Amino acid sequence: MRTIYTIALFLSLVLSSQAQVDTSVLLISKVSFQPQFELSDGNLIKLMGYTKTLSAPILLPSPTLEFEEGDSVNLSFWNLSQGAPHTIHLHGLDVDQANDGVPNLSFDVSHDDTGSYYFKAPHPGTYLYHCHVASVLHVQAGMYGMLIVRPKNSPNLTWENGYAFNSERAWLMSEVDTFWHADSLINHTWDAQNPMQYILPYKPQHFLVNGQSEAQLSAMPYSASVGEKVYLRLANIGYYGNRIIFPAGLNANVVSSDGRPLPSAAQSDTLEIYPGERYGVLLEANSEFTDDIEVEYVDLNTQSVANTQNVLVTIEGFLEVDEFKNDLLAYPNPATNVVNLPYSGSWTVVSITGNLVGELSSSSKVFDIRFLSAGTYLLKSNENNGVTTRLTVLK
Amino acid sequence: MIRIALFAVLLITGTARAATVDASLYILRDSITFENGVKLPYATFNATNSFQETNARLVVNTGDQLNVWVVNWDVTSHDFVIKGETATVTIPPGDSVQVNYLCINSGAFIFHDPTNFPDYSSTGLSGMLVVKDNVHQSFYWNVKEHQTGYNSTVFSGGSPDWSNYYPEYFTINGRSNPSINLDASARIVGNVGDTLMIYIANTGQSIHSIHFHGYHVKVVNSSKEPTHAGRSKDSLPVFPSETMVLQLIPDKPGEYPVHDHNLIGTTGGNLYPQGMFTTILIAP
Repeated sequence: MRTIYTIALFLSLVLSSQAQVDTSVLLISKVSFQPQFELSDGNLIKLMGYTKTLSAPILLPSPTLEFEEGDSVNLSFWNLSQGAPHTIHLHGLDVDQANDGVPNLSFDVSHDDTGSYYFKAPHPGTYLYHCHVASVLHVQAGMYGMLIVRPKNSPNLTWENGYAFNSERAWLMSEVDTFWHADSLINHTWDAQNPMQYILPYKPQHFLVNGQSEAQLSAMPYSASVGEKVYLRLANIGYYGNRIIFPAGLNANVVSSDGRPLPSAAQSDTLEIYPGERYGVLLEANSEFTDDIEVEYVDLNTQSVANTQNVLVTIEGFLEVDEFKNDLLAYPNPATNVVNLPYSGSWTVVSITGNLVGELSSSSKVFDIRFLSAGTYLLKSNENNGVTTRLTVLK
Repeated sequence: MIRIALFAVLLITGTARAATVDASLYILRDSITFENGVKLPYATFNATNSFQETNARLVVNTGDQLNVWVVNWDVTSHDFVIKGETATVTIPPGDSVQVNYLCINSGAFIFHDPTNFPDYSSTGLSGMLVVKDNVHQSFYWNVKEHQTGYNSTVFSGGSPDWSNYYPEYFTINGRSNPSINLDASARIVGNVGDTLMIYIANTGQSIHSIHFHGYHVKVVNSSKEPTHAGRSKDSLPVFPSETMVLQLIPDKPGEYPVHDHNLIGTTGGNLYPQGMFTTILIAP
């Protein structure tokens, strides 16, 4: 039977790719009846989750789906559950009712059956997907992942004419209450006539960033170079709030939320993200250092901090020349007395070792650099989305 | 002694000119019954001397002069304040006090009993004053949650330990899913292109992260985060004692859920689905 389904799904994907569909993706919902996902304490838990292939293990979170703005997407879904129906809710994409992934209002997919979701990838941004059947159980069981829409042909922009960045990271926060991963819940019975489910008190023991916690997080440090602009996508699919605390020296500019630019970007060393929310933060360091980004997990009923996870931050080295997309913005380059820059106003001057040297200021695009000694500098516009360039000064 | 009891129509539709609005709020004690039949002691501010599980709502226009008599028909003394707007007054059992308030600022406000805050306020006695500056179709959510035993403790003169708060019941206007959709003031119904206003007050003690399916909403006002005005969001937290005004302009028809994305908030008495879950119904 599964071979037939696989062939049918393959044909469906091939056919849809021939039709007016830019992108076709298959997700399979599965259940691990044996504990297989390792937590930071070495214990294994059972999961429900989505995978892209039959043989892939279920992980927390499920695979990230990535599209380009304007893509017509066919998201095929094959449900191999323990007997319960499942859906894919495209959280934040504002799809039409038929494709919203909510049982009764849209459609659900029965065990060992298939379905398809069609949508046009909307605004560039960070989104989520998750099951909306018995969602309080199935989301905690593991049926969630991130969905990223990038601007068409501009993968290093937050959105068209938005902020430029050199690299990006994506962190999805959640929790695990191991009692909710017992067989009675992961392998729960399903009665379509009475879908009511009983839940246990939620007291998570594990607080996750991309499915990892405690010592496991050492495998996913935040590493970047001085001057590197990093776009950090943050999302919360848990049942606690998250408070992200950035270390001194890692300048954070919150520029987007829920797939939309913020009307006013906000510089802050702390950002709170509540269940279902997503934020986009531009991070940049001016010097080398080592520290942590703290992720606090806030109990939504008492507002107390239940747990803190630390992600190691290592700012080391400097942007390589080939990473420097705006390297030719200054001319002449090298220069001695004056330099032309693409924008008037003020520019911060940082030495190649990361030390703040001073500031260039001009009402025109011509800047006096006679005070700079010979050497190579990084120049960063204090406006214009922080455009950066490199300049060599000769004396 | 009850000095006066004015019966008033509390839901005042938008008018262009400032008016004097006379209203009464009766503090009454009875109980609230949830979807699974569980009943908790409860007290509310009522528009008449008949107990309702949902607090009465005062809706006026900017510039209106609000004169509200608060009548305490409970057996214990209660306080009354429009949070952040008026002075706190104490109302002995069987007595009443008139509170006068010039509604200069638009938005949503919380009126409540601050006695031993958050004891009485969070276990029932907190309602919503809405000062409108528009004539758009509007919807009102007084969101609250309850933990079994806390109400009994409060209404027997005790004070619960809020540091261990773990509520099991989640309500909008005193109702849980599916009954919320029976409240025409809560369930968002409109047409494509309409400007729909949603006034929210969190009168509980938990943070509720409200997620809209189908649409983004614009934050018009947040009492906790005024700088968030103008943001376009599909998920947004509403903090305890926070009020918020949202604007929704639907771009497509359909029926879409709105719910607490702390998914524990979509349960009731440890049963799913209940809790804070309603739907938006938009016609073409």
